Amino acid sequence: MTRQYEHDWRSPRRQFLQMAGTGLGTLGLASLLHAEHAETRRSGGLDGIPHFAPKAKRVIYLFQSGGPAQMDLFDYKPELREKFGEEVPRSVYPDERKTTMTSAQKSFATAPSLFTFSQHGENGTWFSDPLPNMAKIADDICVVKSMYTEAINHDPAITFFQTGSQIPGRPSIGAWLSYGLGSENADLPAFVAMSSRGSGKAGQPLYDRLWGSGFLPARHQGVKFRNQGDPVLDLYNPPGVDGGLRREMLDILNQLNAAKQQEYADPEIETRIAQYELAFRMQTSVPELVDVSNEPAGTFELYGEDARRPGTYAFNCLLARRLAERGVRFVQLFHQGWDQHGQLPRQIRGQCRDTDQASAALVTDLKQRGMLEDTLVIWGGEFGRTIYSQGTLTKNNYGRDHHPGCMSIWLAGGGIKPGISYGATDDYSVNVVDGHVHVHDLHATLLHLLGIHHERLTFKYQGRHFRLTDVHGQIVKDILA
Amino acid sequence: MKRTIQLVLLCLVSFSTLNAEEARVDYEHQIRPILADTCYHCHGPDGESREADLRLDLLDKVVADGDQRLVVPYHPEQSELFLRISSEDAEQRMPPADANRKLNDDQIELLRRWIEQGAQWEKHWAFEAPQRPSLPGIADHAWVKNGIDYFVLDKLASRGLRPSPRADRVTLIRRATLDLTGLPPTPAEVDVFLADNSENAYERVIDRLLESQHYGEHMAAAWLDAARYADTDGYQNDRYRYQWVWRDWVIHALNRNLPFDQFVIQQLAGDMLPNATLDQQIATGFCRNHRINSEAGSIAAEWQVEYVVDRVDTLGTVFLGLTIGCARCHDHKYDPVSQREYYQLFAYFNNVPEYGVGPNNGNSPPFITVPDAWPDLAASDNKAIEPGPLEFQKAGYGGGVVRPKPGNDKTVMIMHEMEKPRETYLLRRGQYNAPDKSEVLRAAVPASINSFGASPANRRELAEWLVDPRHPLLARVTVNRYWQALFGRGIVVTSENFGTQGEPPSHPRLLDWLAVEFIESGWDVKALHKTILMSATYQQTSKSTAAMQLADPDNRWLARGPRFRLPAMSLRDQALAASGLLVDRVGGRPAKPYMPPGIWRSISNNTYKQDHGENLYRRSLYTYWRRTIPPPTMVNFNAAEREVCLVRKDRTNTPLQALTLMNNVTFVEAARFLAERMMAEAGDGLEARIEHGFRLAVARSPTPDELSLLRLTYEKCLQRFDADPNAATKLLSVGEKKRDATLDLAPHAALTMVASTILNLDETVTKE
Repeated sequence: MTRQYEHDWRSPRRQFLQMAGTGLGTLGLASLLHAEHAETRRSGGLDGIPHFAPKAKRVIYLFQSGGPAQMDLFDYKPELREKFGEEVPRSVYPDERKTTMTSAQKSFATAPSLFTFSQHGENGTWFSDPLPNMAKIADDICVVKSMYTEAINHDPAITFFQTGSQIPGRPSIGAWLSYGLGSENADLPAFVAMSSRGSGKAGQPLYDRLWGSGFLPARHQGVKFRNQGDPVLDLYNPPGVDGGLRREMLDILNQLNAAKQQEYADPEIETRIAQYELAFRMQTSVPELVDVSNEPAGTFELYGEDARRPGTYAFNCLLARRLAERGVRFVQLFHQGWDQHGQLPRQIRGQCRDTDQASAALVTDLKQRGMLEDTLVIWGGEFGRTIYSQGTLTKNNYGRDHHPGCMSIWLAGGGIKPGISYGATDDYSVNVVDGHVHVHDLHATLLHLLGIHHERLTFKYQGRHFRLTDVHGQIVKDILA
Repeated sequence: MKRTIQLVLLCLVSFSTLNAEEARVDYEHQIRPILADTCYHCHGPDGESREADLRLDLLDKVVADGDQRLVVPYHPEQSELFLRISSEDAEQRMPPADANRKLNDDQIELLRRWIEQGAQWEKHWAFEAPQRPSLPGIADHAWVKNGIDYFVLDKLASRGLRPSPRADRVTLIRRATLDLTGLPPTPAEVDVFLADNSENAYERVIDRLLESQHYGEHMAAAWLDAARYADTDGYQNDRYRYQWVWRDWVIHALNRNLPFDQFVIQQLAGDMLPNATLDQQIATGFCRNHRINSEAGSIAAEWQVEYVVDRVDTLGTVFLGLTIGCARCHDHKYDPVSQREYYQLFAYFNNVPEYGVGPNNGNSPPFITVPDAWPDLAASDNKAIEPGPLEFQKAGYGGGVVRPKPGNDKTVMIMHEMEKPRETYLLRRGQYNAPDKSEVLRAAVPASINSFGASPANRRELAEWLVDPRHPLLARVTVNRYWQALFGRGIVVTSENFGTQGEPPSHPRLLDWLAVEFIESGWDVKALHKTILMSATYQQTSKSTAAMQLADPDNRWLARGPRFRLPAMSLRDQALAASGLLVDRVGGRPAKPYMPPGIWRSISNNTYKQDHGENLYRRSLYTYWRRTIPPPTMVNFNAAEREVCLVRKDRTNTPLQALTLMNNVTFVEAARFLAERMMAEAGDGLEARIEHGFRLAVARSPTPDELSLLRLTYEKCLQRFDADPNAATKLLSVGEKKRDATLDLAPHAALTMVASTILNLDETVTKE
């Protein structure tokens, strides 16, 4: 045991105190200052977690922000062709479940999807024609058509998916995982978030709370990799200062701080010295991580040429794989622009062009690297869309309003049963009729795959033991491998 | 290694258990927390989830009412409570096998001993009005300076600890200046203090700082977090609002030392005071700082409920120190607040002529137009204004979306009472569309904290009830929050929760002493600050030893002075002040300083338009606060996001913070101008220049070792920049303010690196 100190991305002082308590706190400062790259082993996390052997070690969540239209992508309803323009019966779609954007419409005309669907894979999973690449990975994914939520507006609905509550203030999924499972790479955060803008439509906004730590200690919050400027805020030295100069400055800063530590014996100083060293290492490790130029040509054939351009969904998918390789526990992507209130056929083609190839590529890539079996990939948005047209319905154009009653998502890898479709909706793709999966159920299942009993990952705040799944959540056993 | 730690911890635990065995078990601090955490969930205040009709939160009542079987004092073996928790029979044993909460052996033993000792209990301490405690007898009268020190010394002595000596003068003036103004002392201020040989030299510093206009700014910053103040609405598109007039009201109120009872009354109900002034009306903006949802498709009735909920929860956190919000959906699980009582509190705030959906840009009704001359109004003009009626506009999307007409940038949102109050009902599961219409609820306060039996009928009377000297919570919660800001942790660590699940106070009698002093001083906040800063406890050095750290890692017992990293805003303000960049004008419109490129545009549909010139260098509390994308440099240092009321946040120490302090444009530009000051104000000698920069940042002069290390930095950097003038030019171009071109390039760049090193010192970022 040459070096006992465990660097933690957001190391709290407590760690040092534990060291002090075991007599290990007096380790020579020299060894601290010239620390080797931290090994890839777990730091942080709770004792006893995982509760049982996990199927997945990490999660990549491809969040499709805005609410993709389930009946135009996965939830095929061929019979509705016959009902084009007919009023959706009030018995199927009661008025009180409509948003105020459409509740005053005179007509609620049935708008069957105008896309062509075909079956793929051994079990004949349905895909619409804007998703040719996802169709090719049909045997690797599990399409859930019976997902539903409670929220009808973007802000509460996205917040619900990311934190298990519509009301802001709860920790996001990644923060829970960082808290429970810790990090496997002390040089990178346990939780990284990235975003990209859809070409289909100027997207609904995102909010910092979606990768926030809520009431969990702040070190568990996701680090947002920026799609403009420095990938991590203030990562690069100012112009005119190179790595050599920074190193010299840091050597002296460390000596000055070490003298202070001698005088004050405050473990916080020791932590600060270590964090400056980690910051310095990040100045090398993060640029290397985001530099995809040395990826072989095959990578870009797989993910598409977009993957060369920072800020695109394809680039973020490629980065997600590179982060997963380096032990990052939870990678959260957001792709904006899935909010097709009007011009749906044109816009959704744009959204699919952004995401279809790279989403499929990520699954394929992980599989080829033997990583899919312990990486859980999730693709989905915050709600579904209405079967009735928002605005005027024509032969080749329609829009759709928000619809919490059903939506389609897919999952892959990490202990998920591959190659199946799960659950069903009614004839109008309005209500789930079989295999209900609530947001809390998705969260319970995700935690289960990571070896966590969702009722036992708790944090006491304001006198209450909070959970990601609140007081709900059923594991969806039928989709487990 | 983990194993070693566990072993050591195990030893520590066993040791403390041994110690405790001789001591008397205290119901409030040892038994109630166990029952609350483990048992109240099914046997507590919440009627919905209660099992077997058994309430362990009312154990005293149960026993007093004659049910002697549950707890038989002095006889655990006859007490059903003990028999059930210790039973070997899985059918009998509590908590049941499938419960998430378990009792460990230590807890069972504590419960047994408590019964054995006679099962004594008292009401939860925080729900009884504070009484002035007598000062404890102490041995060392030489150390104490005021009442605070008696209580602290008494606790220290009981734990075999000794206080630390007084900090040196430079440390003291820096600590006090940062604590009271959020800015560093100037070298001139330090010199005056060092040269003052009078008895009351330190007191004079405190008095001067309390009169500084920066006092109100610094104190306002913490209040803005609690008041969830921001410049945007907070949901979805998160568009703009104009509420800075309220923010300026806070600064002025704190600077003129408005008594805290008035501070509370005016913010909760200034509009309802007789002959209300415009100032008092503006103060009520506090109740309108909550987020407002403008998302298309929103249901107005749903969001109107959320706004009232936010007002109630804020009242709970900041004035009552209670997690009132838990009772929104069900009776509180741990504290005696029923769901019905929650909606009775709700009724006080439910009569605002507001609309649940926001205007999507601008102020939401009710609002008033503020005269241009405010706050400099003649008394005859300082009168409350009747807000206009709620007016609507139609907005797109099939005509279903209705929005109120917004107020422009000359307006401020305020409170107002509807002529005919809304009827308030209990909302089942907290849902807006599930009212229990069987009963219209009358506004009332929870019985358990209404120890003096008042019955406030409206918002103004509610505010007056809060500031009644007999109120058990307000004074305690308030002094605790001020204590927390100065010492880094409250006497009650859970400053947001004084309920049964909160942490018990480390110094309960000190807390009550401070609360009573505060009330009896006429709620004089500056006097409270002075009392704390004049104590020997506050003036201790923060130097410690490994043994001291081990004995009390969190400095709970105060055997040393406070030492912790500065809050986010102070860090930036300090750098601006030291470099001479700070523009210290008080109040006015928010400023938009540097932000990372694309800060808003990258995830929202708006563009951040950065200001130029003076607005780049204003104090951080004026920085434009967009709730869904708060300034990342601030959040990085644990600033509150301002989405909801927040009175406590943890303090992290991260590599991202190091990156910001080394590379962020604000801090690099500050280093540039700190270097310029070193060159302009300290003559030609290198050491004099370095010393000057050092003093500007941390108030003291560097030691010879520090000086030689910083000299070394300078020389190494000078070599680099001499060889590469282009690099020097680049570094000296960071930020918008142009350098003094008459200064030599390479020395200026090298000194900039020295200045940056100084600004990154642990000491600089720390109050010590």
